[in-house]
Amino acid sequence: MNAPTRRRDTLGIACGAAAAAVMAAFVLLAVFLLGEARSVANPDFLLDAPSRAAGRAGVGPALAGTLWLALLTAALALPVGIGTAIYLEEYASRNRLAALVGSALASLAGVPSVVYGVAGLALFVRGLGMGPSILAGGCTLAVLALPTVIVTSRVAIRAVPEEMRLAAYSLGATRWQVVRGEVLPAAAPGIVAGSCHALTRTIGEAAPLLVLGAAAFMTFAPHGPGDPLTSLPTRIFAWTTRSEQDFASLAAGAGIALMLVLLLVNLAALAVRRRMRGGAR
Amino acid sequence: MNAPPTRTEAPPVLAAEDLSVRFGPKTALTGVTLSVARGRVVSIIGPSASGKTTLLRAFNRLNELTPGVVTTGTVRFNGVDIHDEGVDPVEVRRRVGMVFQQATLFPGSVFDNVAFGPRASGYAGDLQELAEEMLTAVDLWSGAAEDLDAPALTLSAGQQQRLCIARTLALKPEVLLLDEPASALDPAATARIEALIHALKRDYTIVLATHGRRQAARLSDMTAYLAGGELVEYGPTESLFTNPRDSRTESYLTGRIP
Repeated sequence: MNAPTRRRDTLGIACGAAAAAVMAAFVLLAVFLLGEARSVANPDFLLDAPSRAAGRAGVGPALAGTLWLALLTAALALPVGIGTAIYLEEYASRNRLAALVGSALASLAGVPSVVYGVAGLALFVRGLGMGPSILAGGCTLAVLALPTVIVTSRVAIRAVPEEMRLAAYSLGATRWQVVRGEVLPAAAPGIVAGSCHALTRTIGEAAPLLVLGAAAFMTFAPHGPGDPLTSLPTRIFAWTTRSEQDFASLAAGAGIALMLVLLLVNLAALAVRRRMRGGAR
Repeated sequence: MNAPPTRTEAPPVLAAEDLSVRFGPKTALTGVTLSVARGRVVSIIGPSASGKTTLLRAFNRLNELTPGVVTTGTVRFNGVDIHDEGVDPVEVRRRVGMVFQQATLFPGSVFDNVAFGPRASGYAGDLQELAEEMLTAVDLWSGAAEDLDAPALTLSAGQQQRLCIARTLALKPEVLLLDEPASALDPAATARIEALIHALKRDYTIVLATHGRRQAARLSDMTAYLAGGELVEYGPTESLFTNPRDSRTESYLTGRIP
């Protein structure tokens, strides 16, 4: 008996089984969603407004709302988050204050999203008088995404070899030239992956938007940040609270629409990464 | 400790005066006083962790990029205290060039690497011409334009280190700080680097950190022996090697201290 080989085989089988279980879960999820959504499988579903009559209902306004929210969240959270990460890693001296900010961010990343909703309600909806608008939703989701964007970007920036920085400095590069020319291109894949992860998790959130006061029933698509707040996740939540089977199909269809939006975000991130690699001198 | 004999009337290019450096609680250099005359090759020898790299990095203000570093004492470049308020460290680093122990090339082509420093300082001349000149100086130029477009990281270890030297030369510095430039190379590549240093003596003041005793003897005019962050002995290479004044230097040179 060759004990080490046997043990390795057992481990291999266990890990293979785990991987197979994950695959099975994915397949089941897809089959279930597609099966449920069968009755709503038509292009009009993506454009139509919700209706009391399940047969004529669609996700048009909610889809437009989620696209607006994705755009606003990205536009607000990415520049601020990546900028903060660069500042903390490359400019702030690694003193006690920087360490404090670091642990505060790590704690913030663990705060439940519904709590961000409560804060957003007080600050954006009421305090700044935005009302339950797309803008208030985008601001709240951006704040929710920020800690994750910052933490993952910091990790990516820290992974850039110190020798590369020193070599650039020794060649008379200014701090900005080192950051812009060497550190950011080297850290870009990690920053993009982390930002994409933060963005997709955030866009899928329903709880904070429900707290802000997302419109339960909207018959027109929002045309800008000032319009009332609506989104796919809150739409799904509203439909799942109805007992009729038709509304379950609608919820499944909306779920597929949401996953299409997330796929879009992932593809955009992939395109950015590819372009950066191609553009890297 | 010995004052360096002044063989020229010109002021020293580099001078450390009572220089101490510590990183947090760890002391790297203690009270080092040493000057480097123009056109000379000075070797810094000593065991690992004796402060050779820290001393080199004190000359181009690279230590200050490490968090928690505390530097006391004075470093002068052409008589000017480089820690003075009005001195830009970027300017110091452009005039006091450095090559590291490990070749640290940037991803990109040979040309991109050679052009890095000149680009960073806004060089107005012909970069192509400059790159050819620098590659010729380190014997990496075969005359084909393709040499410039080759990905830098596909070169051999020895070629990479010579490219690093070319990259530093492209800034036309006055001083070259070479931090064990051949310690990661095989004997053949080491010989080429040494031949290159020998050729560069004509145009540059060179400070060479090395733990190759014979390399120091072959290449340098002056040698400094560092141990535990202290300058034990500094003098003309020949007299230091044949007649060391300090017993610790003798122990090191005879191999009793690794």
